[in-house]
Amino acid sequence: MIAKIANWFDERVGWKVIWEAIFLRKIPKVNWFYTLGSATLFTAVNQAVTGILLTIYYVPTPDHAYDSVQYITTQIPMGWLIRGLHHWGASAMVVLTVLHMLRVILLGAYKYPREVTWFTGVFLLLVVIGFGFTGYLLPWDQKAYWGSTVGTQIAGAAPVIGDWILRVMRGGPDLSAVTLARFFGVHIWVLPASLILLVAIHMYLIIKIGISAVPKKEELA
Amino acid sequence: MNDGKQLDRRSFLGLITWFIGGSIGAGYSIPAIAYIVGPAARKEEDQAWLRLGAASKVELGTPTLFKIKVERQTGWITNEKELSVYVLTENGRDFVAMSNICTHLGCRVRWIASQDQFFCPCHNAAFSKNGEVIDGPPPRPLNQYQVKEEDGQLFVLGG
Repeated sequence: MIAKIANWFDERVGWKVIWEAIFLRKIPKVNWFYTLGSATLFTAVNQAVTGILLTIYYVPTPDHAYDSVQYITTQIPMGWLIRGLHHWGASAMVVLTVLHMLRVILLGAYKYPREVTWFTGVFLLLVVIGFGFTGYLLPWDQKAYWGSTVGTQIAGAAPVIGDWILRVMRGGPDLSAVTLARFFGVHIWVLPASLILLVAIHMYLIIKIGISAVPKKEELA
Repeated sequence: MNDGKQLDRRSFLGLITWFIGGSIGAGYSIPAIAYIVGPAARKEEDQAWLRLGAASKVELGTPTLFKIKVERQTGWITNEKELSVYVLTENGRDFVAMSNICTHLGCRVRWIASQDQFFCPCHNAAFSKNGEVIDGPPPRPLNQYQVKEEDGQLFVLGG
């Protein structure tokens, strides 16, 4: 019965080829370090799901941000869990992204023909750091406010254009309602859009080229 | 390799993968549903007797409007809501307190003294001074509050 329905759809949609290309593709014999990329993708999905849920109650204005976060954490059923998953998932995502990058470096997986995969990965790292930086301000508590004050000040230390960068980031000379609103906008629109685009290219290339094998010592000779 | 009767390594791992994936999916969906419906499932706050004003203000045989401010907690915001109640008495002792919310789709009705009826501007509904439907789409009479008089003051039970 299920097979019949599956075939009916496959005839019209052709999903089986896609399914096989993604999940049943041949891979060389590798070790567990090769799962770090999938683990990173999992945290990205976690951030997307919990992040979407958080926007149902969160309000990005100075007079409501803190209270709405407290409301989520203390009043909404499972709100502590959703927020906790987003909070800890953020740290996990940064850690896993870096570990994944180290594996690619140490096992030489960035070399021909995978240079473009590597480049998209570098931009993905920047996007992940951008997520962390903009998300840090959103709870609008003391730690968030002063953390972002310091963070934008560091960007302002760049020579010549530093002050201009700082003003663009803050939307003015000081951290304000404008800063909170634009950090929120970047956090939930600009960065997710970039992430989806880059992950799509990254994944396409992984599937198209196939993953690298563990380098062997004999190959060097 | 395998004739399907026995579970081979490949299909066993496949099943395990689906099971773990399904558990993770449920682990997200169930809390997500609780999280989304949470505020809707919350019980209404306790009702209390709200003081409308002096009973002597009510004119005999004419619905008289009382407006009071009620504090309301909505989400993380406490704000004031205005509650409008029409009070009717025929003898100065027995009072009827009616909500000004139309029972059709929730617009506010007002007393039109010249026509001796409540009028709802949204769909031209009309109610008698007792709150009975005279004309238009409302399915039932105007809602009534429990009302009591103490020391010349009127109170209604509401939240």
